[in-house]
Amino acid sequence: MLEVRNGGFETTIQDYPGRIGMLSLGFAPAGPMDDYAFRFANILVGNPPGTAGLEITAGGLVVVFHDERAIALCGADMGARLNGQAVELWRSYLVRPGDVLEFDYLQGPGFRTYLAISGGIDVPPVLGSRATYLPGAIGGLEGRKLQAGDRLPLGEPTLDPAAAAGRRVPASFVPTYPGYNEVWELEATRGPQADPDYMTAEDMAFFFSHHWKLDAASNRTGYRLDIHKWQWARESGGAGGGHPSNILDNGYPVGAVNVCGDQPIILCIDGPTLGGFICNAVVAKAALWKLGQMVPGWSYIRFKEVTLEEAIGLVKQQEEIIHESNLERS
Amino acid sequence: MSEQVTQPSGVILASFPERNGRPSVVYRNAGDSFLLVEFGEMVFDLTMSFRVLGLDDAIKRHRPAGLIETIPALRSILINYDCRQITVHDLIDFVEDQYEHLPPFENLVVPSRIVELPIAFDDKWTREAIARYVQYQRADAPNIIEGTNSKYAALYNGLRDEEEFFSYIMATDWWNAALGFFPGLPFAYPLDPRFAVVLPKYNPTRHWTPAGTIGIAGPCLAIYPVESAGGYQIFAHTVPIYDPQQRNPAFRQSPVLLRPGDRLRFRPRVTDEELEAMIQAVYDGTYQYVIDETATFDVGAYLHFLQDVAPEAEAFRQRQAEAAARVPVP
Repeated sequence: MLEVRNGGFETTIQDYPGRIGMLSLGFAPAGPMDDYAFRFANILVGNPPGTAGLEITAGGLVVVFHDERAIALCGADMGARLNGQAVELWRSYLVRPGDVLEFDYLQGPGFRTYLAISGGIDVPPVLGSRATYLPGAIGGLEGRKLQAGDRLPLGEPTLDPAAAAGRRVPASFVPTYPGYNEVWELEATRGPQADPDYMTAEDMAFFFSHHWKLDAASNRTGYRLDIHKWQWARESGGAGGGHPSNILDNGYPVGAVNVCGDQPIILCIDGPTLGGFICNAVVAKAALWKLGQMVPGWSYIRFKEVTLEEAIGLVKQQEEIIHESNLERS
Repeated sequence: MSEQVTQPSGVILASFPERNGRPSVVYRNAGDSFLLVEFGEMVFDLTMSFRVLGLDDAIKRHRPAGLIETIPALRSILINYDCRQITVHDLIDFVEDQYEHLPPFENLVVPSRIVELPIAFDDKWTREAIARYVQYQRADAPNIIEGTNSKYAALYNGLRDEEEFFSYIMATDWWNAALGFFPGLPFAYPLDPRFAVVLPKYNPTRHWTPAGTIGIAGPCLAIYPVESAGGYQIFAHTVPIYDPQQRNPAFRQSPVLLRPGDRLRFRPRVTDEELEAMIQAVYDGTYQYVIDETATFDVGAYLHFLQDVAPEAEAFRQRQAEAAARVPVP
């Protein structure tokens, strides 16, 4: 059992790849915003990479362990301490009953940290997943973020916690997050509604070169970017509505850049599944994790165009990186 | 397959003209995990929904390895696939094969429940959402007149006033072609084209819409199942259509009330106070949803009906187009 003393800013239970097979009923998959850090944290403690763990946004979480377990933290530096001793990120540790893990707030770039615990968090799956889906108020613990007093059941570890502790992700696989005034490069393909039929070639050239500011009004459902006056390749949306960004509603890919009137919004893993605005680009699956470490109101994004083949190559490359055989003993 | 056009980094992966009375198909790139299949032209043709739901069913029954799930919409299907298991071109060949073998839809009689929902027009919840939008997002939106979208809706459609607009909403049944956006949200289209109102979308989209709000954009009507952002013009409120806590017998099977292929019928018209009492009764478990579970929909009879009312429908379309041309879009 894991006892929550302070839920922090926004801490949720997530698993990967989340709630699959529900898109046609309007349920986004949910899951970790940064699946790269999440999966590595699980592998470090000897779990399958998708096992339920905690997504800690911005910090402030305090938890107490009541069992012997291996744990690992991957993601942004929140000055975490285990019984008062600094905890390194991207490395596994052994915890014992009574140990206290505390997080401060963000110490540098990045926005989310993942806590994996050997055996995982064993809340009951809802519609096939333990992932917390806040817009639908389901999954995780009662469909909400964690708060003081919550007690989370843990699963049984398959690997001896002592053997899973003391491993680390090699430095070459630990990502560096862009700092203040630096720009995230985000790989994306052109989307289903780009040029020439919906946007002009100049619109798309602007899209792939501009440094987009991530709006403060952004969260796990969507990342709002700057308002921009697009040229558009057509006068109106026809049957979809009066504005040229309007279409007859269709399914939205996870990670699509959805242009709502003048404003592009990246649809994140809690985002809408269907709607009536164009999607001029789709973030590469292997780059979606970067969204999880961007800071609303602070980060800048440049979309780097990749072909479909390149995007598929990135998926395969990432699968080879996130693998237990790559871990080092520390 | 001879007409297939391949542009590796382009938006259109393949396209096929109309064949033997089957609408044309365009396969659009939607990133490394999604493929958008689009039928016919961007015009509002409800009969497309019958084909789409038929094809979606065939795709799911013959699902190849690597096909994860689909999101059917009015004239499109978005396919979620695993690019490590199936190539996009094999996926296109598979869908083409299913499309070729789809039986004619003109003689179908399909199960289609009739769901009656009470409706409060120009209600306090809608007014509050619009007031917040004016205060925090955009004060000069042309789609907001005297704190509502209803007056704009009447103007845009060439109707006398908001009361006539409300009467159009109640005059037709609404075909639920798809669920999506957020959990259980219906995308419903007017079955009677004589009352098919059309509206543009918000610009920028609203940050907040209360659960239970009814809105329209393009020809499509939606009910917001949870508090969420939104882009539709809003004008009415109804009882819950999503309850993750499943507190009413209508939600016993699923937290989602509606299904694709349902017909929605708005009645009776109620006041805010009456609706508030009904919503309370839903959560008490005493409210009885009015659902005809055994109703069927005769596609052939419907096609005859469309022919009969075509002149009237065309007259309304013209009146609408003339009115819309005089009204600014958001």
